[in-house]
Amino acid sequence: MASEELFYATIRDIGARFRRRALSPIELTRAHLERIEKLDPTLHAFVTVTADRALADAKAAETALGRGDISSPLLGIPIGYKDIYATRGILTTGGSALLKDWIPDEESTCGVRLQRAGTVMLGKLITHEFAFGIQFPGHRFPAAKNPWDLERMPGGSSSGSGAALAAGMVFGALGSDTGGSIRGPASLCGIAGLKPTYGRCSRAGVLTLSWTLDHTGPMARTVEDCAYLLQALAGYDAADPASSREPVPDYVAPLGRGVRGLRVGVPREYFFEGVDAEVEKGFEQALATLRQLGATVEDVQIPNIQSAGAFMAIMLSEAFAYHERDLREHPELFGELLRDRLLAGALITGSEYVQAQRIRALLQADMNAALRRVDVLATPTSPKPAATFAQVYDPDYGFPRGNTGPFNMTGLPSLAVPCGFTGAGLPVSLQITGRPFDETTVLRVGHTYEQATDWHKRHPTL
Amino acid sequence: MTLEEVRDRMKAARVEIAENRLEVVRRLLTDALRPIHAMDSRAHRTLEPAVTFETVRARGDHGQ
Repeated sequence: MASEELFYATIRDIGARFRRRALSPIELTRAHLERIEKLDPTLHAFVTVTADRALADAKAAETALGRGDISSPLLGIPIGYKDIYATRGILTTGGSALLKDWIPDEESTCGVRLQRAGTVMLGKLITHEFAFGIQFPGHRFPAAKNPWDLERMPGGSSSGSGAALAAGMVFGALGSDTGGSIRGPASLCGIAGLKPTYGRCSRAGVLTLSWTLDHTGPMARTVEDCAYLLQALAGYDAADPASSREPVPDYVAPLGRGVRGLRVGVPREYFFEGVDAEVEKGFEQALATLRQLGATVEDVQIPNIQSAGAFMAIMLSEAFAYHERDLREHPELFGELLRDRLLAGALITGSEYVQAQRIRALLQADMNAALRRVDVLATPTSPKPAATFAQVYDPDYGFPRGNTGPFNMTGLPSLAVPCGFTGAGLPVSLQITGRPFDETTVLRVGHTYEQATDWHKRHPTL
Repeated sequence: MTLEEVRDRMKAARVEIAENRLEVVRRLLTDALRPIHAMDSRAHRTLEPAVTFETVRARGDHGQ
């Protein structure tokens, strides 16, 4: 068995080892397959492990390296896909009994782009049911566990992606984010996750939850690793109607430019209501670190932020529209919680949906105004650390209020980066949000902060 | 929103939700619709529901 250090190395470090022949993609892939075999029966991060495919990918990477092809920093890097990304010839379940046998004949655009970059696909990672429900005990697919505390949820809906990264089973993962499903698990698992600008990364070949809120994006253990993945994923795709033709900049090179002179805005209203004291402490210490690094920090106003809850009316309505036929024909194939949530969408009127979209426009104008004054916004990512399974299985638990949804409403790029731990050893996270298509600044702030701290170097004991 | 309103909406939408799950749905809807019902639509006559994404960056130095 390879050392723990190998499994928590960065993508840059692995690439360097490949180039000096200190490690081979096949060796690395085999080590990861062994680790998955050892850890995943407990963590349940994977729905499907694609060992043959992974070894074939690794062999191709090794051949490319052998002929001196080092053009892609992702060459030979083992990753996983959230199981709502269609994979040609490979089971794609959406975490749902409805799709328990679905083998797509197409590949998602994101999958195609990561394959072109030379990655090694280790398998498909569990998602909350259709990225919205929770797998209760007895579900067709067991829920992933949080590697920091097996009694706790890893967050969702990219639950397997978060758990697999925290457990050192993959170097990167595809997530998706409709109301925080990349940033939430990143926050609760102590890793980094980026929801790019709406339209930046293609959603083609990805199961829909809510058309106007769905985003795809990368999850990894460091901000730099997220930048490498984003570089491969970003760009126009005619197969996604929302895809943008905005040029793709270099996301990696500017990471080291620091934050001196950058302006960080803190919207104090809404984002701190009900925030856990230890989460708030970690956040305030992160602000102090950013100040020490040369950024200026000031409070900003988002006048209509208290209306951000309208986000849920949009998500419920669109999710019901997407699932309506299956719900009416096969209600028994949906988990009870998901079925209730989807049916709630049927109870929202057309007029209420339109007003929710108008509120969205107000919120977008507010945030654009705030981002003319500052370069990024900073908030805690999740108001509370990871909840226990016992808490979320309680019928009265409800849908937790989050700090991430407002940035799905506005489509702005938003990054989660670890900023501390609670006394019980649970990760807490800083959320950094920027202007449309300014992932470069968002990543730069996150990377600079991350490199000044050691939160990302801590790993769970497994 | 009352449970009776939830039942009325279910009837109009032709969907069924188990009686013991109605309270969960009521709370979810109440939270989602609160800002919508609080909004005076007449105060924003020119506001349209379409979403656009501004790609032109504001003027400024953006730091180093």
